Amino acid sequence: MKPLMLHGHERAITQIKYNREGDLLFSSSKDNKPNVWYSLNGERLGTFNGHQGAVWCIDVDWTTTRLISGGGDNTCRIWDCETGKEIGSIQTKSSVRTCLFSYSGNMALYSTDRAMKNNCEIFIIDVRTVDSSIGEADPILTIPIPSSDTRVSSILWDSLEETIITGHEDGALFQWDIKTGKSIKSVKEHSLLINDMQWNKDGTMFITASKDNTAKLFDALDLTLLKTYKTERPVNSAAISPIFDHVVLGGGQDAMDVTTTSTRVGKFDSRFFHMVFEEEFGRVKGHFGPINSVAFHPDGKSYSSGGEDGYVRVHSFDPPYFEYNFDY
Amino acid sequence: MAKKKVEEKNQQNGDNSKTDKEASFDDEPNFSDPEGYVDNVTDEELLGDLLKQQPKETDGVESVIVVDGVPQIGPERMEKLKSVINRTFGKIGNFVNEYYPVNEQGHTKGYIFLEYSTPVHAAEAVKVMNNYKLDKQHTFQVNLFIDFVKYEQIPDEWTPPEPRPYEGQGDLYHFLLEPDAYDQFGVVTQDTTVQIWQNTQPDPTLVEERENCTQVLIKWSPLGTFLSTFHHQGIALWAGSNLTQYKKFLHVGVQFIDFSPCEKYLVTYSTMPVDHHESSKIIIWDIRTGLEKRSFNPEGSSTWPIFKWSHDDRYFGRIVNDVLSVYETPSFGLLDKKSIRNPGIRDFSWSPTDNVLAYWVAEDNNGPASVTLLEIPNRNEIRKKNLFNVADCKIHWQRAGDYLCVKVDRYSKVKKERNENKYSGMYCNFEIFHMREKEIPVDSVESKEPIQAFAWEPVGSKFGVIHGESPNINVSFYEVRAGQAPVLLKKFEKRACNHLFWSPRGQFVVLAGLGATGGGSLEFVDTHDFLVMNTTDHFQMSDVEWDPTGRYVITGVSYWKTKVDTGYWIWSFQGKILKRVNVEKFALLLWRPRPPSLLSEEKQKEIKKNLKRYYPQFESKDRMRQSKASKELIEKRATLMEKWRNYRAERMGRYQEVKARRLALRNNVDTDELDADTENVEEEVVEFFIKEEVTVLE
Repeated sequence: MKPLMLHGHERAITQIKYNREGDLLFSSSKDNKPNVWYSLNGERLGTFNGHQGAVWCIDVDWTTTRLISGGGDNTCRIWDCETGKEIGSIQTKSSVRTCLFSYSGNMALYSTDRAMKNNCEIFIIDVRTVDSSIGEADPILTIPIPSSDTRVSSILWDSLEETIITGHEDGALFQWDIKTGKSIKSVKEHSLLINDMQWNKDGTMFITASKDNTAKLFDALDLTLLKTYKTERPVNSAAISPIFDHVVLGGGQDAMDVTTTSTRVGKFDSRFFHMVFEEEFGRVKGHFGPINSVAFHPDGKSYSSGGEDGYVRVHSFDPPYFEYNFDY
Repeated sequence: MAKKKVEEKNQQNGDNSKTDKEASFDDEPNFSDPEGYVDNVTDEELLGDLLKQQPKETDGVESVIVVDGVPQIGPERMEKLKSVINRTFGKIGNFVNEYYPVNEQGHTKGYIFLEYSTPVHAAEAVKVMNNYKLDKQHTFQVNLFIDFVKYEQIPDEWTPPEPRPYEGQGDLYHFLLEPDAYDQFGVVTQDTTVQIWQNTQPDPTLVEERENCTQVLIKWSPLGTFLSTFHHQGIALWAGSNLTQYKKFLHVGVQFIDFSPCEKYLVTYSTMPVDHHESSKIIIWDIRTGLEKRSFNPEGSSTWPIFKWSHDDRYFGRIVNDVLSVYETPSFGLLDKKSIRNPGIRDFSWSPTDNVLAYWVAEDNNGPASVTLLEIPNRNEIRKKNLFNVADCKIHWQRAGDYLCVKVDRYSKVKKERNENKYSGMYCNFEIFHMREKEIPVDSVESKEPIQAFAWEPVGSKFGVIHGESPNINVSFYEVRAGQAPVLLKKFEKRACNHLFWSPRGQFVVLAGLGATGGGSLEFVDTHDFLVMNTTDHFQMSDVEWDPTGRYVITGVSYWKTKVDTGYWIWSFQGKILKRVNVEKFALLLWRPRPPSLLSEEKQKEIKKNLKRYYPQFESKDRMRQSKASKELIEKRATLMEKWRNYRAERMGRYQEVKARRLALRNNVDTDELDADTENVEEEVVEFFIKEEVTVLE
């Protein structure tokens, strides 16, 4: 089916996320205003106005009442989903690269970049009641990342709210105990920046997307490397289908590295792999810049991609996709 | 306590220093060996490097010569003799020492010793003065003094030399014994790894992989027997079943090599001077013996190969400054000891099947340009064609030697500018020589458009031309028939290509757009009915290589040209993609050539006629291979899936165990499945934008 082209952002998309039910799609972009869309028809529901710089990350809680976003203006903001009003803002020392609600939605976390003598840090905050005073409240927990390690570039929080997993600029993965704030385990399977990490449906595995041209599937409990999906271009984002053993990878030649204007050289396709066999079985073209974020609809019948070209494309799968079977 | 002991010792030393051998810190340390020590370090081990410089006995006598046949004279005439000797031997060099042995009476003994200042002079003296006739009775016999030592050491009895065990060279044609006639190809990467692949179906198999095997590139010999690798020290040839080393050819800094067509000789060229005083040179080697046959100085600037070989390895030639020199083998002398002088001669080329060469001469003030066909070795001019308004010529032989095409770039105006000719109004002629017809008739095809590429069908009588200027590039195919001018068969218009590659078996041709401007377009054409079998592309492609049997085409993107997506793709001759292989730093891919078929032409025709009969046999073989491969794949997947399911079952068990804790975190709302929580569902109406109608209201 012809994809829905969501054109509301003026600059590159940085992250897209569905809410739990999948009826809404949230997108953040370098143009300061996160958007929310109806995923079914692509109509824009509204924008969240207030950021003064690029918005790097967004997350929505499981009840779709609140949205958290972090940006290059050194703030992490919490919004009311229904009204689009900002209900709280936290000033940070450097730009906010990642932000998340916990499983229950009672806590949230965000991490900051290493910049201007400020170390990279992870903050966990209480968000049960959010008002304008949240900026002064002390975080529940602060995890400073020692300067010997590289900055956090992506983050995940487990469904029992016991551990968080961070993906780093040098390709390393760390698992942290949030009761003690100590790291439990670390592995290094990627050689370059991990741009994105996403859970599978039940939160027992997660997929990483790295600049080293691969995406990898890890076990959530002990960080065992399960599968590797290889491409020839940096992978910016990867997602796992909730209904099939499929993963989708988005990426492409970095915009600054593309010497020719040809989209063929860039390879800005969404690429589908079989999760177990690691074999590629399909590609979806469309973006004319690298794909920065991909997400599966929670019902697995459509997926969306957000690109450097500023578009979000919502693709509904055609019947052959559901009939396609690998022989084994 | 310890201190006291030392003091005691010191006292002892003072009293009895001669016998006490123990070390003490105040006195000079004692380096003498303890008693009973046996030195087991030899002098060679200890100061081997110094010993090498030790003067040898022979050092002093290397410049000494012995002269026999000197007149025997009394002491009264000694002065005279000495002055004669001084005069004759002094011409060669100064001698530092002379000795005239005399008997009891003072008579000389008829031989003398002379020592020159250097061994070079001594050697020179032996060369010049041996058998020198002083007068009627006296002839000098001059020898080096060291020769005596040499000859003394020859044993009296002759012992037959040990017969060396026979070393077989292995089966050089092992690669041809492949039962399914799969071809091999070599792949070189920028980090100098060389891989040899067998193009088996459905997937190629790796035969050999060697790291750091060559510098930059490899080359197959023309019949595929040898693989040559480049090294700083020279060239190595590999052959046989496992590609073991066959021969080494030492030529420091070798950059270019060329095999003679029958693989008898190897030409190597290094632009680096071998020694400091020697200039760079071209060496021709005998491949079987590994011996140097002759070396040449690279005179004048030429494009490689400088030497061009006749098809049977019997002759080779080159052009240096208006002179065409043809040499013959195995003597490696100039043919008839005479070069062919022809002012203005520019280029020549051998017929691929006969000992005929074609050369062209540029026009000068009083004469036209010309193309001449010359028979070797009798130097018969079998055809000469004069041409006018010629800027440049390119000689293209058809591989079967039936036709020769000379592409003539012609001009309508010429302007002299700083000793350089500026041509304008360019157009182009193809002069087609019918080699097999009586008196070799010549036909001409003219093209007003600039020519991008020209290529003969290797077997057959067609040729293809890419002409025109971007974006209006056209491809024309002509056929040459006996006694007729070439006929235009087909013209493809507006194509995105700049090269054409014929199948080595003819009929099929690949039109390709190579390089940065070509865009990597590919068109597979059957010239039997000019059906375009497939139009596709391989972006940034830099090479197109047909396999020697014309069944497969490989296109490559070389690291030398572009840094991204390097690798090679394998296609069938119809343009069906068979495999894409991405190789990091892929540099070069070369098919291993095959020697010509041993079957006679009639036999080959017969096989072609009965092809249908062999068809089912190969078809079933292919099917079997295909099904075997897919079976293997399915088995592999099945085991992967099995492992995966076990892993997942274990994890899901744990997942269900902690369900209660998950529920607690979300107010006991079950969110594990999208539709698990039925109580909080809300119906929502969504409008779809279908179309827009604008009605103008008055």
